[in-house]
Amino acid sequence: MASADKLINTDVPEKDVFALHFLQSLSNLKTQNPLNSPAKSIDRVRKIKKAAYVSMARAAGGTSRLWSRALLRRAAKDDNKSVRFSRRKRKVTWKISSKRRKSNNQRAPVVEEAAERLRNLVPGGGGMETSKLMEETAHYIKCLSMQVKVMQCLVDGLSQK
Amino acid sequence: MENELFMNAGASSHPPVMTSPSSSSAMLNWVSMETQPVDPSLSCNLFWEKSTEQSIFHSALSSLVSSPTPSNSNFSGGENVVIRELIGRLSNIGDIYGTPASNGNVSGSCYATPMSSPTPGRMMVTKTTTPITEFSGDPGFAERAARFSCFGSRSFNGRTNSPFPINNEQPVAINEKKPRISSSPALKPLVSHVPAGESSGEYSRKRIANSKQNSPSTVSPSKEIEEKEDSDPKRCKKSEGNGDKTKSIDPYKDYIHVRARRGQATDSHSLAERVRREKISERMKLLQDLVPGCNKVTGKALMLDEIINYVQSLQRQVEFLSMKLSSVNTRLDFNMDALLSKDIFPSSNNLMHHQQVLQLDSSAETLLGDHHNNNLQLNPDISSNNIINPLETSETRSFISHLPTLAHFTDSISQYSTFSEDDLTSIIHMGFSQNRLHELNHGSSNQVPSHMKAEL
Repeated sequence: MASADKLINTDVPEKDVFALHFLQSLSNLKTQNPLNSPAKSIDRVRKIKKAAYVSMARAAGGTSRLWSRALLRRAAKDDNKSVRFSRRKRKVTWKISSKRRKSNNQRAPVVEEAAERLRNLVPGGGGMETSKLMEETAHYIKCLSMQVKVMQCLVDGLSQK
Repeated sequence: MENELFMNAGASSHPPVMTSPSSSSAMLNWVSMETQPVDPSLSCNLFWEKSTEQSIFHSALSSLVSSPTPSNSNFSGGENVVIRELIGRLSNIGDIYGTPASNGNVSGSCYATPMSSPTPGRMMVTKTTTPITEFSGDPGFAERAARFSCFGSRSFNGRTNSPFPINNEQPVAINEKKPRISSSPALKPLVSHVPAGESSGEYSRKRIANSKQNSPSTVSPSKEIEEKEDSDPKRCKKSEGNGDKTKSIDPYKDYIHVRARRGQATDSHSLAERVRREKISERMKLLQDLVPGCNKVTGKALMLDEIINYVQSLQRQVEFLSMKLSSVNTRLDFNMDALLSKDIFPSSNNLMHHQQVLQLDSSAETLLGDHHNNNLQLNPDISSNNIINPLETSETRSFISHLPTLAHFTDSISQYSTFSEDDLTSIIHMGFSQNRLHELNHGSSNQVPSHMKAEL
């Protein structure tokens, strides 16, 4: 649907942007823990995973996407940091859409069930309407697949002998 | 769309058609769903009311279409006739019901009674087709029917068209009626007259009566309707008629102008509902292209399940890869941590570095030859990008420092025509090869490390 693609923008940056961000975050990780390397591997895994998500969110456009914003905010909350959001014009605020959602009982229940599950998966999905949620999901899927590719390459590169 | 199903059911009266008993049974089920006294128009309306849930309708229609096995034993012949009458009204094919119409009065008295009061004259003409006005008289019914026809048309177009070949052997009357009854909009012209009120009711009555009477006064309007139907067989029709509006998304205005489609209610809620549904289906198509293997799946529910599974699998992959990365990085981690703690005195560290570098380089040695050229290529271009840090002589340190220079690195990326996965691995190995070269040039001055860095 060419017309739809013009309206719904799901462009994602090239792979190198993702690689750059991820490697930077990894290096930050390592510089952050010079002396006390986490004894438990689980912590390290968790940190790497978090770094992966955060770098993906940054690479995908920072705060210009709802899911990336929610991701970054979630990560910042864990670290007790504050995230700075640039002011931009927004047509629909999240709260309004969620209010509207309650009043409409006629939504197709089949779609809404799946949308509920999707909301749990996609970060920041709780305050979105179904149509907006699908947009975000499309962009999220693209970014996720890109990040997976980057990580796969990294692992392959590092584990090669 | 429903008309075809009903038509098939009706047409079965002459030659047996597979779908007819199932459809009539389904109809019976629908009718039996109502606890109200048997009043055809009323019951149908109530049915429409109660089954506003699209899913129910969807399943009902799918049972209609998909189940070929007749369940004739369930109902008597009288019910058959009753249902056929009902179908006939909806499908507006009076000819087909020529023979059973006479029978209809006998057992279909329940249907006959309400018909008699408002439209006695037409009752004579087309016993089966008059109560359409009563159907159309209910605006809610019209709206819902239109909505259902709209909803179902997409998924049922393929299926509803298939029975047509079966019915081609049917009497010619059916084929004549074909142009009048295209997939979804067949119901629409009947329904479209609803919002306009009484006058439109007469309009539809004239159209229906035309099938039997062929009165000259009614020919033109019916033909008009036919033309309209023929010209716009698709679901997204924009046409003249009652309350038509077209949809256009104007980015410069704050709200979306929507036009009600022909034969649909102009209720603001239903309009908004339709807009929303279209948006969702639009995005579903977008997602369908993204998710691999979604082309075969049809229907929103299954596709959404697929999408959810895909997102879950991607997230799991990220987690798995991060685990792998952490395990692979243990060596590096250790090295880097140890080195970073002792970076003050570069000279004393070199030995240790070499030992560690060797570990690293064993992995990169195989690819060194490939990437040596790359390194040499980059030399002249990035000689200006010197990040000289004399303290950082450790290879692993340089490895880390390479990372901040990735900014410059991405500039050099343009050298590579394609940034494929192989390139990415090569980039990683370049980091290792830097260390190797550094080791080789161990005896040289600090220019080397900076040079190595520049090479990146």
